[in-house]
Amino acid sequence: MPLDSSIYTLSALRLDGRRWNELRRINGQISTQQAADGSSYFEMGNTKIICTVNGPQEQKRGGGRDQSNEAKVEVEIGIAGFSGVDRKRRTRNDKRIQEMQYTISSAFQNTLFTHLYPHSTIAITLHVLSQDGSLLAACLNACTLALIDAGIPMSDYIAACTTGSMASYADKEDEADPLLDLNGSEEQELPFLTVGTSGGEDKVNVLIMETRVQMARLEAMISVGLDGCKQIRGILDGIVRAHGKKVLQSKVS
Amino acid sequence: MAPYTNIPLSPAELSYLHTSLSQQPPLRPDGRSPTQFRPLIAETDILPSANGSARICFADGTEAIVGVKAEVEKSRLAHTVPSNGEAAGQGVLGLGKGSARDVGDEMDVEGDESGGKGRDAWLEVAIEIPGMRDDDALPVFLSAMLTEALLADGGLKDRLWINSRFHWRLYIDILLHSQALSYPLPLLSLTTHLALLSTRLPALVSEKDEDPLFNDDWEASTYLYPPTTTTQHQKPPVTLLVMSVGATILFDPSKQELAVADSVLAISAAQSSTGELRMVALRTIDPPSRLTAAGVPNVLNTTTGATGAQTLSAADVLAMREKDQGQSVWRPPRGGVPRALVAKMIKMVVERGGVGEEVMEGLANVET
Amino acid sequence: MAITILPPTPAALPSRIPSTAHHDTASSDEDDDSMDIDDLPSGHQAHSAAIITPGQTVTDDAQWMRGHGTFAAPDSTAIRSTLAGTLQKTNKLLSIVPLRARYTPEIGDLVIGRIVEVQSRRWKVDVAAPLLANLMLSSINLPGGALRKRTSVDELNIRAFFGEGELLVAEVQSLFQDGSASLHTRSLKYGKLRNGYFMSVSGMGGGAGVVRAKRQIFTLQTAHGGGEVDVILGVNGYIWVAKHTAEVEGKGEAVGVNRLEEVASASMYSSQNDDIGAETRREIARVAGCIRALMEGGVKVDEETVRRAYEAGLEMDEREGEAEYLGGERGRSIIEMVLGG
Repeated sequence: MPLDSSIYTLSALRLDGRRWNELRRINGQISTQQAADGSSYFEMGNTKIICTVNGPQEQKRGGGRDQSNEAKVEVEIGIAGFSGVDRKRRTRNDKRIQEMQYTISSAFQNTLFTHLYPHSTIAITLHVLSQDGSLLAACLNACTLALIDAGIPMSDYIAACTTGSMASYADKEDEADPLLDLNGSEEQELPFLTVGTSGGEDKVNVLIMETRVQMARLEAMISVGLDGCKQIRGILDGIVRAHGKKVLQSKVS
Repeated sequence: MAPYTNIPLSPAELSYLHTSLSQQPPLRPDGRSPTQFRPLIAETDILPSANGSARICFADGTEAIVGVKAEVEKSRLAHTVPSNGEAAGQGVLGLGKGSARDVGDEMDVEGDESGGKGRDAWLEVAIEIPGMRDDDALPVFLSAMLTEALLADGGLKDRLWINSRFHWRLYIDILLHSQALSYPLPLLSLTTHLALLSTRLPALVSEKDEDPLFNDDWEASTYLYPPTTTTQHQKPPVTLLVMSVGATILFDPSKQELAVADSVLAISAAQSSTGELRMVALRTIDPPSRLTAAGVPNVLNTTTGATGAQTLSAADVLAMREKDQGQSVWRPPRGGVPRALVAKMIKMVVERGGVGEEVMEGLANVET
Repeated sequence: MAITILPPTPAALPSRIPSTAHHDTASSDEDDDSMDIDDLPSGHQAHSAAIITPGQTVTDDAQWMRGHGTFAAPDSTAIRSTLAGTLQKTNKLLSIVPLRARYTPEIGDLVIGRIVEVQSRRWKVDVAAPLLANLMLSSINLPGGALRKRTSVDELNIRAFFGEGELLVAEVQSLFQDGSASLHTRSLKYGKLRNGYFMSVSGMGGGAGVVRAKRQIFTLQTAHGGGEVDVILGVNGYIWVAKHTAEVEGKGEAVGVNRLEEVASASMYSSQNDDIGAETRREIARVAGCIRALMEGGVKVDEETVRRAYEAGLEMDEREGEAEYLGGERGRSIIEMVLGG
């Protein structure tokens, strides 16, 4: 069993050596692909995502005149067959993937300044190279980096992470402690949610939960999540600044 | 004028490129020599959860990532003793032709199985190109070509044999990570080659025909293509894209060069047991230039005030175009390619010190 | 050597350990907010220019006006950035120059575009902008210098002027409400392009890429008998390198040679290339390679840098012999010579 809850206390370590409020090793690079308008590579522990952004572009042969005054954000997620422990081919019609695509596109539809580019489309493509928990959160973070690289104006970063609860729903504990940033084996056992903030510590942009948990535990989980998002926003900001510095230093005036 | 096709080039540009490439020596737009490849960035073993992986980026920004995963599978017993080559060829009843099959194996080559114990169905190649569905023409065709090349020399599937009851099933997942700016076949093939070179399988601990048991230590794993220090190298096959314009042969064509090709060939080369290269598959690819329409010569161009459209007859116009032979006015290529030219292309790939060998050596030197 | 395989550039290590990131950002955020805006250097010139990231508050002062790349939070007067880039102060206007962004058309830009669609009275042109640009039938020169109203015959013959996939150089005349450009070619130096080679430089935006300059069209005198080569640098990052076209063509056709205008525009919409010698083609390829090397090296592309890169390329050829490919290693040496010289 990946998690033995009986001897779990706040001071104890998880299977990968982290405490309850520690994020995994986060690594990100921006502008990884020259051919795309914006691109990024993001790792949260063993979850590795590549993101490319193309746009804003006029839709080729858009069916009928698109009369909206805003750009459309289209998201496509491809989970590679080699991403999990077992090789599994996923089709594009997978409901779970479609829901993730919709979540990401609506989250960014609110943060990006889409009214600056009417009738155009911003196409985001995500490739999951390896998944080990926090898939949606890592996708959101990777998209943020790639959109910044593409120079599309946005009101703030979207920083996302997962939080969970130490005891499963069946344990009926009202006092179980929250956990930050679950990995793959923890996600299979414990209830968890994904939270994404934008524009401040308490402005939640994304909140998705697919498992069940008692209401009393929810507040603690969300507040731990908000704190984690703040840390992640700082990390994303650091990545963008480091890249910007590198770009400016190599330019000629 | 030119109808809108996938090639966004005007007739004037096409004609300029075509004439430049037909010169002797050919003047490629970026100044490369006919056999020079653009610099590419390659790395292997980037995915810790896959048996083998590789990533190659071309200079124009296209990128491909390949992951190889292997799973143990129970073998369907052949109807007769495996040494009987003929029956073994028939013994693929239902093996791999069921629903779990990927589209990549549709054009499975019924290879020569008299020598080996491997089955074609043990290999599955899946290609993912963003923006295209899995049953679009391009991914299907590319995976068929790659599968065919990998199975053609028979070596790969034989390495997947564990014992008479079990075998390895190899899944090669290819991810083309950007829009296909140029025909992606050589990129995918080189990346697959590199990934296979780095693929490792757990070391077998059990014996003979008992249920397979493997060594837990990953350090003890064996390479699928073991590197040897003797002159006999063992390497997976590689597919190269070769195009011709007039009498010129060009390697690693860019998208603009492909747009004016007279013919395009995909040549797969593998190493035979003696270490020499030999061609294992050859496919012609429809050059995109055939989909373009001819440019309008000045005589017919109404905007220049020329009255040719009214005064010349259709036969005169035709004669004029034929005489021009696409030198100044673009004309889509017609006809096939001479056999001598095809033979020359093959030779350039497989000869000693030829392009195929250089590519394979270059890839083998990529540090893992 | 036929194939060069390069190792990947190593990834930058994460600058901070995640568990301590919380404390670092807290302190630096406070520093940014309290930093006076006058302390922030402007423009890309200063190498120590501070990077502004999206969501960062640039200033609280009410005296500044918001420019491109900024927005005002609805509940306060603070100006925040929407892009990652550097600050630019022009008088009282604050704007952010992004590190990398798609080309946005401005009035008066010289652009190279490709026709993607032919409609009844206009063309849709791809200029690497968020929206396709429009070229109206009334905005082009009619051949023969005719000054007349466009008739329905012209509309029926619209493909004879520009068909799909054809390249043209034009100027942005005006912008529509939604930001798309309206082009015109009402000058002898604009029109359909031929006799040359097209390339594109991605990502316009301060620094690398084509910059707006005084002269976007210039001519290079090439060596090795190549003659003259025209280079057109479109502000949108599309570049055209071609053989120099003589201003006047002595055609013996039944066209009045008295009117220069008439003669010059007689071949304006021709798709037929002139005869171009091998030396010229080689030089065109060399110029294209130089521009590519400039782009890969992150140097801005304008007349001066292209001239210097071309001369550097010639020098390298003399020193190292005729290896033609100008990317990779040789490209980097060219960049060094351009920056140093």
